[in-house]
Amino acid sequence: MNNFKLFKRQTVNELSTFYSFLIGFIIAIIIGSIILLIQDKNPIDTFSLMLRLSVGSVNSLSSSLNKAIPLILAGLGISIINSVKLWNIGAEGQIFLGAIAVNFIYINTQFNNPSFHILVLLLAGFVGGSVCILIPAITKVVFGVNEIITTLLTNYIVFGVTIFLINGPWKDPKSLNFPAAAYVGEEVFLPTVIGKLSFGFLICILFTFVAHYLKNKSVFGFEMRIAGGSAMTAIYAGINAKQKAFIAMLIGGGFAGLAGAIELLSQTHRVSTGISQGFGYTAIIVAAITGMRPLGIFLVGSLFGALSIGGSVIQTIGVSTYIADIIQASTLFGALIIQFFFTYQIKRVEND
Amino acid sequence: MIDIQLIGLLNATLQAATLLFIAALGELITEKSGILNLGVEGMISVGAVTGFMTAINTENIFLAVLVGVLSSSIFASIHALVTVVLKQDQTVSGLILTILGLALSSLLGKNYVGRKLVTKLESVSSITEPSNIIEVLISQNIIFYLAVVLMISTSFVLKRTMFGRRLEAVGEDSKSSDSMGLKVAKTQFIATCVGGAFAGLSGVYLTLSYVPYWTDNMTSGRGWIALALVIFGGWKPYRTALGALLFGFLEALVPRLQTYGFELSPYIVKITPYVITILVLVILTIYKGGKTGAPRNIGVPFFRENR
Repeated sequence: MNNFKLFKRQTVNELSTFYSFLIGFIIAIIIGSIILLIQDKNPIDTFSLMLRLSVGSVNSLSSSLNKAIPLILAGLGISIINSVKLWNIGAEGQIFLGAIAVNFIYINTQFNNPSFHILVLLLAGFVGGSVCILIPAITKVVFGVNEIITTLLTNYIVFGVTIFLINGPWKDPKSLNFPAAAYVGEEVFLPTVIGKLSFGFLICILFTFVAHYLKNKSVFGFEMRIAGGSAMTAIYAGINAKQKAFIAMLIGGGFAGLAGAIELLSQTHRVSTGISQGFGYTAIIVAAITGMRPLGIFLVGSLFGALSIGGSVIQTIGVSTYIADIIQASTLFGALIIQFFFTYQIKRVEND
Repeated sequence: MIDIQLIGLLNATLQAATLLFIAALGELITEKSGILNLGVEGMISVGAVTGFMTAINTENIFLAVLVGVLSSSIFASIHALVTVVLKQDQTVSGLILTILGLALSSLLGKNYVGRKLVTKLESVSSITEPSNIIEVLISQNIIFYLAVVLMISTSFVLKRTMFGRRLEAVGEDSKSSDSMGLKVAKTQFIATCVGGAFAGLSGVYLTLSYVPYWTDNMTSGRGWIALALVIFGGWKPYRTALGALLFGFLEALVPRLQTYGFELSPYIVKITPYVITILVLVILTIYKGGKTGAPRNIGVPFFRENR
């Protein structure tokens, strides 16, 4: 009698994550097409329209890359925190608190040099993101409280605070029915590079390399990996695992906070609920799909940015924006399924 | 005489607790088998929208509940396929299940936003204005009593039946269970789908009685609170129910604070349940000193080494 058994492969192809992503993306496009067909829409027309409106011109390409900035930065933050084998589900809240911190500093300080002013505000965003993850970090490190749930709950808390601020103390009387804080002055707008492409994208490139260096080349990155591994190894190596975890969480939160700062200074120009449209959640997909690799996060983040822009413009022909979300989530599910075949081998064995 | 406001508070507490408890109980069963499913929020949402759509289209409440429960269960089987059969990371898969579930239900429910139900899940007795505690208890929605039955039977099944003992064995030590001849994958697959079904029931209760209408992201974090409840309850059905009552009480109390004379911004009041959830988790973790009662193999994919 023949029987099938599962074997773990001795070596896993180095590019397996990439191939899994590629096949996963194709699977997701097929799923997306099926949904479109059910809704009586032509998938080829819809997808080519999405493609044209997201990367077809300098303007649309720069919009797509602008959209990618928060996905990439928050994704990088998640990947840094994952170095110590912890999860950050709170990037959404960190983006909001980053923007809130920027507005707080903007209201309460005066600077004569605009470049320096912008630099201070970007730093404020980073600190805001770190502050947002402070409670989950402390409760994780000191008491061992599950960080997945605490970081997630902070999203709801920060969102509530945002709603409170823009309806209360920060409410701009000129914004009428749409609650929002007052606009920041034009002197602190982030400049554009080419077309509509924000200067924030250059910051994004810089931070991609920073994250890559931090994770893969630096001593701290090595210590983070040890700290995230077995507790005994960390003790033998003389590494304070809790300290590394704490610092990693603050840095990771800061990355997402910076995304909020850039979003405010280059896109919305004021605090409103539009600071993030679920970027913190999409960033989780981006980070997970690349196996937490900073350079991969940069590429997939850019692709997903284009997908989101494509998804929002096809609303005009009556297709739901959620199709982009579904394609993104399905890509990861598809990639997970394909990854199985790279790590395991099904062999036929003869039973006796 | 009992204050009429107090009666209202008790009533609202029981309703909010029911919603949280059913989802939490389902997750408890899934986690007992060693599978962590962070997709509760998405599963509730899928159950909520499919149940609501069925109720609008067929006006058959029984069918609506059935469809909601089944579709959530099928949806949960994606997680079972990815984590149990294909042994991929449970955290990633569960998170994506939430994202996918919310997006999918928004897509499905697009044309149902704001529609009114003809038939709803009704309360079992004819008392509409309960005036004392007994009347509150006997005038609850049918799902409330179903939740009580589920609590008792889940506890019984887990402790006293072969299936329950197997489930626990698999969750505690899948390797030994496997060498004892237990079917690890099958048990975990079933437990994940049962968890999905419970989340679906919680979802249909949300749209067919608790709210009752459909709008995007209406689960508003309840799935995550359900996950916290499992930890709170130490993976025990009765204690989880106690936790659900506590959180249900908070959810019911918060909008009533102003009537009791507390001057608070409604926006700040809205975030208190989330703050309190974190506080409770911290206190609980300190109090138990790390012995949380979690199944030992939770989150660890089972793989039989072949030579």
